[in-house]
Amino acid sequence: MSGWLVILLMWAVTYPARLLGLSLGRLELPPFWLAFLRFVPVSVFAALIVPDVLGSPEWARRLIGAVVGGALLWRTRNLALGILGGFAAYWAARLLGL
Amino acid sequence: MTGQGRGFDWAAFGRGFRVMVPLWAGVVPFAVAYAVTARTNGLSVWETCLMSVTVFAGASQFAAAGQFVAGGVAGVASALALVGTTFVLNARHVLYGLSLSRQLPLSRLQRAVAAQFLTDEAYGMVLVAGPRDPGGLSLGFLLGAELSLFAAWNAATLLGALAGAALPDPDALGVGVIFPLAFLGLLVPLLLGRVAVLVALASGLGAWGLGQLLPGGLVVLLVGVGGALLGALISTRAGGRA
Repeated sequence: MSGWLVILLMWAVTYPARLLGLSLGRLELPPFWLAFLRFVPVSVFAALIVPDVLGSPEWARRLIGAVVGGALLWRTRNLALGILGGFAAYWAARLLGL
Repeated sequence: MTGQGRGFDWAAFGRGFRVMVPLWAGVVPFAVAYAVTARTNGLSVWETCLMSVTVFAGASQFAAAGQFVAGGVAGVASALALVGTTFVLNARHVLYGLSLSRQLPLSRLQRAVAAQFLTDEAYGMVLVAGPRDPGGLSLGFLLGAELSLFAAWNAATLLGALAGAALPDPDALGVGVIFPLAFLGLLVPLLLGRVAVLVALASGLGAWGLGQLLPGGLVVLLVGVGGALLGALISTRAGGRA
């Protein structure tokens, strides 16, 4: 099947998912589902972070980067500082041969 | 709701655009790597770019690019399997939209535009940084954040499609660690209270375990739902009995 056609089909299954969620904002939800939505970002971010760190072949260096970055973020709440500090720690571990 | 009825809030758009710039360091090499993979598997420059403009979802583009052969997909069955995988990988966007739309009411046209550019990163940043913006969580801030990533992703796709072989390998630069660090920056401010910490730990470890068996996008969807259910169960129970 030709490349552009497959690409358009991929678009056709991706866009509706994005639109559907944005279109359901005015639903009246009971407290349980409001709490559910409050915890969605917490569980999604954790699910994006941990496999990317522990599931990587260079997990030891990434873990050091994540611990240092996480500590900086906890203390300063500064995103750029957390990313740069974590990246520096990752590179320090890498240069030390971890 | 400043600026409502007086046209689009470009100042908020600019702030949303800038808040994503630190993430470009992770996005650009990823898009280049996708483009190189797509070109290696026979997609033309315009097809490689078409996918970044339309589908605009890193993980599923990367997964799909690896399955093209000689510019297309071999047979209808493999094409349908690829499209099915894309659907499953991207179904998590329903959760992002649901979560965002609770806090930011949008008109039909605004939803139709905002939906095209929604990503993991824009969702996370808008949810965390949006309420702290001077104008509050606004359409301008959301679109600024979304289009910041869209611009970087597509510029880097074009660059990779045209000049891929001459560029350094992203693994050599170690930029793979930028994404988890960026999401950590979004997660940490949300860890208020024991329930949130418990949900984060359970979800992170659950995703790591499931990741050995299932593709990443599906893991995020399943764990996203499961972790949020856990948090809702614990917190509404505690609240109801207190």
